[in-house]
Amino acid sequence: MSDAAALAELRLADSFLPIGTDSLSYGVEQFLATDRVTDADDLRALLESYLRNQFGPGDLVALRAAHARASENNLVAVMETDYRLAAVTLTAEFRESSTLAGERLLALQSDLRGDGLVEEYAELVDIGDAPGNHAVILGIVTEHEGISARDACLLACHGFVTGLLGAAQRLLRLGHTDVQRVLDDLHPAMIVAVEDSADRAPEEMTPFAPLVETLSSEHERADRRLFRS
Amino acid sequence: MAADAPHPAFEGYATETVPQASVGAPGKDGRLELTFAADEAGRTQLVRDFAQAPFHVGRALDHDLHPDVATVYIQSSTGGVAQGDRHSVEISASEGAIAHVSTASRTRVLSMEHNYAAASVSLDIDRGSYLEYLPEPTVFNTDARYHQDVTLRVAPGSCAVFGDVVVPGRLACDEHFEFERYVSQLRVQDGAGLLFADTTDLHPAQDDPTAPGVLDEFAVYGSLYVVVPAASSSDESSVTDERPKPASLSDALHKRVADCEARAGATALPNDAGVLVRALGHSADSVTDALDNAWNRARTDLLGVSAPDPRKY
Repeated sequence: MSDAAALAELRLADSFLPIGTDSLSYGVEQFLATDRVTDADDLRALLESYLRNQFGPGDLVALRAAHARASENNLVAVMETDYRLAAVTLTAEFRESSTLAGERLLALQSDLRGDGLVEEYAELVDIGDAPGNHAVILGIVTEHEGISARDACLLACHGFVTGLLGAAQRLLRLGHTDVQRVLDDLHPAMIVAVEDSADRAPEEMTPFAPLVETLSSEHERADRRLFRS
Repeated sequence: MAADAPHPAFEGYATETVPQASVGAPGKDGRLELTFAADEAGRTQLVRDFAQAPFHVGRALDHDLHPDVATVYIQSSTGGVAQGDRHSVEISASEGAIAHVSTASRTRVLSMEHNYAAASVSLDIDRGSYLEYLPEPTVFNTDARYHQDVTLRVAPGSCAVFGDVVVPGRLACDEHFEFERYVSQLRVQDGAGLLFADTTDLHPAQDDPTAPGVLDEFAVYGSLYVVVPAASSSDESSVTDERPKPASLSDALHKRVADCEARAGATALPNDAGVLVRALGHSADSVTDALDNAWNRARTDLLGVSAPDPRKY
């Protein structure tokens, strides 16, 4: 990997990246609010399940497809991936969160170096012709920055997990060392999720986490909440 | 992929021969075709029915609280779905038909040692038509292998209500998740393409279905899909879609399930296609109660009448 690509990878993986992921919990807030998660162990088990059943078979498959199709400069195929991911993301808050982060990443990247596919896709999302899901935008952006598909998937897992850990830390009594331990413990699950996603065709996006979906639909109507999802 | 494997996970099973009646033998390839259409008076008639064993249908019933609704209960001449069975159900509602289809009893997927069983369900709902397909729960015996493929094709301004409840064993015998494999693939399409898709993939020996966020402490898992694709803008200008928007229907359905015994919630589906209700419970009854509550409310909003008492027993 070139130095430029390595630095781009660090920049995109940093929680410093201003794409609004610090306002998203993807249902984790509801797991805490209903006392289903009360400590670091519960949190680790839940996030492992997210990676294995929700993020891996859904977002990572879309990311890989978008990355591959962006490298072929095939805008239409990238759009198809984007629509497919939207069609299998069944809860309203998950779709809103995904497109919010996606649009912000696209806007940021267009400001930094708006050229080629990034710029063209930004226009499509802007006029409402493409949903702009985060995993798909990340696929386009990482491909543009010279980051490999596998590294992009690992980056996505790291970003997703640190985002949810950040959310949990604001809601739960959880020390910085505990958070780092959970993150470190989740590395094998991230690698498994990335490897499992490699064997799947874009049509095989099959997230399956019914309780996450049910709690997300409760979160939509929660009286008190800190996060948008 | 082996010739008739519906999913990569079933390729190995497909190569196994069935020691009793083979795949495709009489009684193994059940076929059911139902077509509903409204007559000149606006009442829905079952204008075509074809049933090949083990499927059986009687006449359409008209006990519904809505005067135009035709109701059909699908019966089975066998005790359950056996290895090597390949079932196909095709139901269409055209010309403003309003129909309710259910099964007379639960579908039991029997234990298997060879091959697998599969069902393909195809629902076509024409413009201005309304179809409910709400079969009784599916129960999975030990070592069952079952693939279900469900395709809904919905025209603009039509309405489809589809329900599916999975019971992972004979719960009263303390049998939980001892089946081998269950894959269900639902696709809902309009003329322009895919509105949404939902896949259930349970392989208990390999992926723990009781993982947090998946089913956790719950055994029974059910979904109700209320599909209400908008009337297209190319419709005559006099036609306005007066049905509730998915977001408000979602709130209304959620309210009806939030305090149920089952853990349940409603959310708006992708592409403004309608509403999804998920319910998780410790018993089949708790899940069907929650979904029935949501169905009842959806029906009141969309048809103007509540759900009738079933005439199954």
